[in-house]
Amino acid sequence: MGSLQDVLTSVSRFGPELILTGALLLVVVVDSTGVAWRNGVNRVLTVAGLLLALVRCAELRGVSAEIFGGMAVVDPVAVFFKALLIGASLLVVLAFTFRNSRELHGLGQGEFYALLLAVTLSNVLMAAANDLAMLYLALEMVSITSYVMVAYMKGDRMSNEASLKYILFGAVSTGAMLYGLSLLYGLTGTTSLPAIRDFLAAGISESNRFAVYAIALLVFAGFGFKTASVPFHFWCPDVYQGAPTPVTAFLSVAPKAAGFAIMMRFFYQGLAVPRTDPWDLAGTIDWVRVLMLISVLTMTVGNVAALTQTNMKRLLAYSSIAHAGYIMMGVVALSQNGAQSLMIYLLAYLVMNLGAFLVVTVVHLHEGTFDLRDYPGLYRRAPFLTVAMAVFLLSLMGIPPLVGFMGKLYVFAAVVERGPSYYWYAAVGAVNAAIAAFYYARVLKTMIIDAAPVEKPRLRLAFADAAWVGVLVLANVLPLLWWGRIDGWARASLSLYAGR
Amino acid sequence: MIALQHYLVVSAALFSLGMLGILTRRNAVNVLMGVELVLNSANLNLVAFSRFGPGNLQGQLFAVFVIVIAAAEVAVALAIVLTLYRLRRTPNLDDADILRG
Amino acid sequence: MSAEAVIFYVFAAITVLSGAVVVLARSLIYSAFALLFTFFGVAGLYVLLGADFLAATQLLIYVGGILVLLLFGVMLTHKLYDLDLRSEVTQFLPGLIVAAGLFAILTATVVRTHWAGGAGRPPAATTAEIGRLFMSQYLLPFEAASILLLVALMGAAMIVRRKKEA
Repeated sequence: MGSLQDVLTSVSRFGPELILTGALLLVVVVDSTGVAWRNGVNRVLTVAGLLLALVRCAELRGVSAEIFGGMAVVDPVAVFFKALLIGASLLVVLAFTFRNSRELHGLGQGEFYALLLAVTLSNVLMAAANDLAMLYLALEMVSITSYVMVAYMKGDRMSNEASLKYILFGAVSTGAMLYGLSLLYGLTGTTSLPAIRDFLAAGISESNRFAVYAIALLVFAGFGFKTASVPFHFWCPDVYQGAPTPVTAFLSVAPKAAGFAIMMRFFYQGLAVPRTDPWDLAGTIDWVRVLMLISVLTMTVGNVAALTQTNMKRLLAYSSIAHAGYIMMGVVALSQNGAQSLMIYLLAYLVMNLGAFLVVTVVHLHEGTFDLRDYPGLYRRAPFLTVAMAVFLLSLMGIPPLVGFMGKLYVFAAVVERGPSYYWYAAVGAVNAAIAAFYYARVLKTMIIDAAPVEKPRLRLAFADAAWVGVLVLANVLPLLWWGRIDGWARASLSLYAGR
Repeated sequence: MIALQHYLVVSAALFSLGMLGILTRRNAVNVLMGVELVLNSANLNLVAFSRFGPGNLQGQLFAVFVIVIAAAEVAVALAIVLTLYRLRRTPNLDDADILRG
Repeated sequence: MSAEAVIFYVFAAITVLSGAVVVLARSLIYSAFALLFTFFGVAGLYVLLGADFLAATQLLIYVGGILVLLLFGVMLTHKLYDLDLRSEVTQFLPGLIVAAGLFAILTATVVRTHWAGGAGRPPAATTAEIGRLFMSQYLLPFEAASILLLVALMGAAMIVRRKKEA
């Protein structure tokens, strides 16, 4: 462990991360030259870097090993999340540009691309962390780069306020998490996740039980913050509203997915015994009940709060809080199906949420408003955009045959098959989905049925905007055709590295 | 004889004091100081466990990384506080109220 | 009482009492200087625990870097000639109750739990060992931390810079 041989083998399995780092450094250097055409070059570099990294992820298929002395791990689950996270960044860079985002107009581009590459790298490291030190480092890397991205519109008061709330809330949550991690180290004598799992699986004595509960709660402070779960969600609406919309769109999918990846790895791999299916808590604490409660609260708070929102960004923020609750159902299910449903829901969530935010951005570009009360009559003025938004909202609602329905189907199925004691939980989820339908439908009604007070001309979309909206619509509609392959991919990615 | 528990109680005190600062202070820089207290308490835990546990250095190395992260975090936090001050002439959190729930 | 015990209690007192001043003081400058003493106290405890490299790092980075940065922050966010560096406190009593409760729960947990035992690590020089570990087992976090610092530096500078972009 830690020898030169180990390092060389690890580097050969570290392709995506190395490419991302190389792209990041190149972008920084190019941007520092100050040449006039550096923005175009940086954009190309970023897209190329992300594409290459995504391609390299495919080469890692089937590998299951620790790398870099046990600090990180390459296993099918990690590779799946790497692909998801890099893909999310790629979509954001391609669909949201400095041209179609009014908020980013006139701001420096090089730093943005560098930050995006850095946060992608950090997300990927977080999904693959195998040691407490690496986990905390990667989590903080994601957080700190996100704080800077949210503060990007430095002249704007709302952006600044949002980033301040974000950083203070985040620092407190991750500080509490760190305290919990330090106690975990003290309890088990090691910072390596597989070793921790083995230690805990051997049984927890009565005197230590309370400590393990306290640790789990403290550590959840960090995970809850990253995934915006109750009661660590308070930063979410303000930050989503204050940040530039491309950043908001990115934050709503990528760090959240990485947070769920690490939550899954920590709770499945650290605090459960993956030898049977459904997985067994085997003498470790019953964290399932607590997560169930948190999931229910998250869904409900998100959906109920969204009912009264008129600002589109805040509405989508509360909507994404609610979706975190649904995604957590996959963690609660604690089985192979549960893990698979979590991964599929995240895939679906990526394309639906990005689509919704893209439409909001394009409307803002042309109309200059995020307020739902300015949306009436959009159907007449921009029929393509309205139909696309309808697809995205119906997907978020979970209407078949859109991809959002598949996501919900999987998580509900995974929970229900755990037995009658889980039925109430699935029922709460269903009720929440019904409540959510209200506010999604309200947006649709405003856009399609309500008449504008003043007749305004038609919106002429830029070709690139229309194209990317179209791509995302297809991404919501078409997956049903290839469902077998998607299901197969998720299931094949299900093996977690089981330790030495 | 100074045992592990002595150090752990000191760090618990630091953690609680840090949380007190975070919960009651209005000035952003003061909240940051509270966060630093929390991070130091966790570090103290890590080093104490490193000394009295199985005898590996993992705790100390983890602590080094925590110090590095804390430095980066404070740098970004102060940059944001400075910008807040420039835009609004106050670093007080209660005056940051444009965003309402 | 042995010499070790005396030194421990002295540093523990410095740490906790300064921590209290940081949190309770009215003036920001008092808080900042109390924080200085807190960091010193913690560094002393590190030395007592045999973490010599860490103690030096604590002083260099926390006192020499972070504290100086915090002082800059304090100074730059007030008018130059206005020495009224007061900081207000809101809703003190609920916060105090929560903090006291936390302390009680944590102390009870900490005392009751059987932490991982073992040979322990009697105080000895750690720098060489840590250096070796950075280059072998902890290589990945080491490199990742350097990327973090690069990005944080770039980000902080970008946020504060006033120049208009083209």
